[in-house]
Amino acid sequence: MTEVKSATDPAVVPFDPFELKDVVGGNIRDPYPRLHELCRESPVHTGPIDMGEGADEPDPSRPPPVTVFGFEEVVQVLRDNETYSSGVYTDVMGMVMGRTILEMDEPEHRMNRALVAPSFRSKVLERWEEDLVALVVNELVDSFVDSGRADLVREITFNFPVQVIARILGLPRSDYPKFQRWALEITSVAANFERGMAASAALGDYFVDVMAERRSTPGDDLISDLVRAEVDGERLSDEEIYSFLRLLLPAGVETTYRASGSLLFALLHDRTQFDALFGDRALFAQAFEEVVRWEPPVTVILRRAARDAELAGVKIEQGADIALMIGAANRDERKYKDPDRFDMFRDQRQHVGFGFGVHVCLGMHLARMESRVALNTLFDRLGPFTLDPQAEAPHIEGMAFRSPLSLPVVFGAGG
Amino acid sequence: MSDPLEIRIDAERCMGSGNCVFWAPDTFDLSEDGHSVVTDPLATDEERLRIAAQGCPVGAITLWRAGAEVPLEEGS
Repeated sequence: MTEVKSATDPAVVPFDPFELKDVVGGNIRDPYPRLHELCRESPVHTGPIDMGEGADEPDPSRPPPVTVFGFEEVVQVLRDNETYSSGVYTDVMGMVMGRTILEMDEPEHRMNRALVAPSFRSKVLERWEEDLVALVVNELVDSFVDSGRADLVREITFNFPVQVIARILGLPRSDYPKFQRWALEITSVAANFERGMAASAALGDYFVDVMAERRSTPGDDLISDLVRAEVDGERLSDEEIYSFLRLLLPAGVETTYRASGSLLFALLHDRTQFDALFGDRALFAQAFEEVVRWEPPVTVILRRAARDAELAGVKIEQGADIALMIGAANRDERKYKDPDRFDMFRDQRQHVGFGFGVHVCLGMHLARMESRVALNTLFDRLGPFTLDPQAEAPHIEGMAFRSPLSLPVVFGAGG
Repeated sequence: MSDPLEIRIDAERCMGSGNCVFWAPDTFDLSEDGHSVVTDPLATDEERLRIAAQGCPVGAITLWRAGAEVPLEEGS
């Protein structure tokens, strides 16, 4: 454990967006043609799926896995949380996070979510908007605004969500570097399991001291809120709070980093929509919803069948793992006109990019607010910016998690 | 002139996601205990109300006109 920690000393290891590069195979630049093809074949498939590099061997000891591509079918699964259990996440995420609302079913989920939900309501989040989010983004912009060019992933989108979470938790500024480092290592646990587990343990130890302090001197921060939270006489145990805080890193940091990057990518590639949003900031809400449809940061949600079921005429065995292809559902040709196009003016605005049903993203209002403030700050400080014609063209990449890894832009004197 | 839309919220289903408040803040609000309530049914245009109801993650919001349920999906 000690050597793993020292190898990732936050003081010496620079923060690199490429560490979050998705390691899963398939066509990571554009998986959508294959996803459309599979959805056209059937919105629900049983057995291993061939994403273009051959399918895995079936495992005869387990019920055949199910993969869902269609929008209505995904909604049906997410709505029916009695048939389709979230317990599948115990194996996947539970080891790293501890027991969290992600893997709970009803009624346990409802009770636990109710304890943390008040802190994530849009009205409650307003208090963070000016003093916190705008401040964080402005500080980041300060560091490059005079140069006339920047990589907006490295300078902005990769940095602001984790700093916002750190401030919402009330962590001291001097702790940000190590918090950022742990956040990255936990989030990239699929790429490096040991490192992720070590970071998870280190973060747990760190929060023990923070919690003790908040119990004796509560402040205006999320940890103090959680310590005080009570619903029907139930409170969160310390362990439950640690687990929830750990979950905030992948759930609250990585997703916002990816969504805000993809939104900038979309706007930089469509001048008409860039200018429309630049001129009318009230359009942000629909622009952000559209990017969460077009390039959802999390492209797959998992469930496990709690009983035998049938979906779109396909039989599902009890115990079968079910992969909901959010990226495919959000571009279902039966629901959306011209689904592969980013169009903030489209009529059909419903999507499953934040999930659906009782587990729908708890942090969606925070993600919307943070990204709005970040984009407005960029618009106001940089003026209209464009892709840097001299830099390598950026791409959105990834299979399970998608976003651009760089966004080189020029502005003002640099443009 | 057709009758105004009536908004019904199934309190048992509502899990306080706040998505309706996001789409139609002049019509919906969250109560102290985290449930959606209608503050002003006429403050939002019908198209926007339909999006708010459609976006409810637990399908707790239904729209009614003259005692009949209005379908949320329209050819779009």
